[in-house]
Amino acid sequence: MPTLAETQKFFRNAVVGDEMAGIQSLIVGGRDASKRLEIHRRNYETSLVTALLGKFPATVWLAGTPFVSEAARHFVCEHPPHAPCIAEYGERFPGFLSACPGAERVPYLREFAELEWHVGHIAVAVDQPPVSLQEFSAINDEALLNMVLALQPGVRYLHMSWPIDELMKLYLTETAADSFEFSPADAWIQARGARGEFHMDRLDASEFIFRKSISEGQAIVGAAERALDADPTFDPGRALVRVVAEGLVTAIMSGSEGDK
Amino acid sequence: MTSISRLPSGAGVGLRLPQIAEVVATRPSVGWLEIHPENFLANPHATELLTELSQHYFISVHSVGISIGSVGGIDRLHLKRVRALVDRINPVFVSGHLAWSTYGGEYLNDLLPLPYNLEALRLIEAHVREVQETLGRRYLIENPSSYIGFRTSMMSEAEFLSELVGRTGCQLLCDVSNAYISAQNMGYDVYQYIDSLPADAIGEVHLGGFTVEEDEASPGAELLIDTHAAAIAEPVWNLYAHAIRRFGARPTLIEWDNNIPLFAALLAEAAHADEVVAGTMALEARCADAC
Ligand SMILES: [Fe+2]
Repeated sequence: MPTLAETQKFFRNAVVGDEMAGIQSLIVGGRDASKRLEIHRRNYETSLVTALLGKFPATVWLAGTPFVSEAARHFVCEHPPHAPCIAEYGERFPGFLSACPGAERVPYLREFAELEWHVGHIAVAVDQPPVSLQEFSAINDEALLNMVLALQPGVRYLHMSWPIDELMKLYLTETAADSFEFSPADAWIQARGARGEFHMDRLDASEFIFRKSISEGQAIVGAAERALDADPTFDPGRALVRVVAEGLVTAIMSGSEGDK
Repeated sequence: MTSISRLPSGAGVGLRLPQIAEVVATRPSVGWLEIHPENFLANPHATELLTELSQHYFISVHSVGISIGSVGGIDRLHLKRVRALVDRINPVFVSGHLAWSTYGGEYLNDLLPLPYNLEALRLIEAHVREVQETLGRRYLIENPSSYIGFRTSMMSEAEFLSELVGRTGCQLLCDVSNAYISAQNMGYDVYQYIDSLPADAIGEVHLGGFTVEEDEASPGAELLIDTHAAAIAEPVWNLYAHAIRRFGARPTLIEWDNNIPLFAALLAEAAHADEVVAGTMALEARCADAC
């Protein structure tokens, strides 16, 4: 008698891998129970493909339903989810999609799908109470340099090699442009969202590097040095005031401890 | 443990993400709401709205991802996240399925069937204990909708569930539609099935719609698919009345997850469930008087 572990292994292989050999002799249901396994195979594939298409509607708009659906079907077979929260499934789909045969006709597909993935997540974030400029100015300048800042959960910094934010705006406004000039160009994008809304802003390279470094946990001094490497005229003091004034900072911490 | 005074009185409906803003805005009159925690764990905005709703409605947390039947064990990280949500909204019930969904670290996004034998019973007993200890409350186990059984099953589903109740002190969520679907698909008497469940352990009832397909395993025969994409069928309402006679009135929930209609249509199904309960209880009272 097969163990439960063997039974589940055979069942898994039938549902994900379409391998019927192990499970066939173990199951009952109708005259040919193996035919009924199709229901579970379908549940697995259809539910995950539907979830992916629902998560990447702009990418479907850009690349077409047949192409994205076919890629999604392969993706769910090759990369099953690892956790029950399906909203978190699909982070690797942009990379997978852009490696599919035919994707080369849309060289910005990966970046566009990655932007959409991030937008989907920031749009359901909830803003935290921001640190005010007064709270900030109470910290002496020298101590401030070594501080690490926590930013709003709904903010992302994305350096793209195509102006894909323009393309995304076209999708969002349902604009059917007669002609759309699209050529490679660096775009440093801050995407920010909360409670069902989001917006995308362009930053210049040094401001982007400063904010992204902070978002990655760099101390203020380190973030400033990186930005200055990119642009020696960068003014860290003013940049920091802008970050705080925009309500992006939710906590000020020393490099090694908790909140100050 | 949940106290009797906190039980909802009328039928409730499943609350899905596309409806949540409408429910927050309109606050419809409904007995209670049930959610799948998996839809909320990565959605802080929806969780914020749900927390607001929990101030006004009984909420039930019905997990589709706590895989109590997996040989690989419970996904503890997921269980902890569910616990955090449970702590936040203090639901009236927390429930899950007699099924497995996870194998070797993969989540198969379906409720997969189990053989009903001693090995499975021991495994699930341990997992239900773990879930109840982690959540600090009783867990309700739902009977699955079945298309496939196993040659290695040594007992009926009702016997398996009764054993589980006896061993763990868990309660049961009797999905009357699932019972109907499974009995039709697997060829047994659904009224006998309902009669052999331990009535005192039934804490909640589900009703949902199914879809009819041709059974490719038996050409010419029909197979019922648990799609939650249609209104509740007449034979299921009849079976529900029988279940109420057998269990007594129980908090009942309408499930509708695909082709979701207007919220008003869900409320109409819930109102019909209340009518069935009222009619059945009145008839029972008259019979008792006549005796
Ligand atoms: Fe159910």
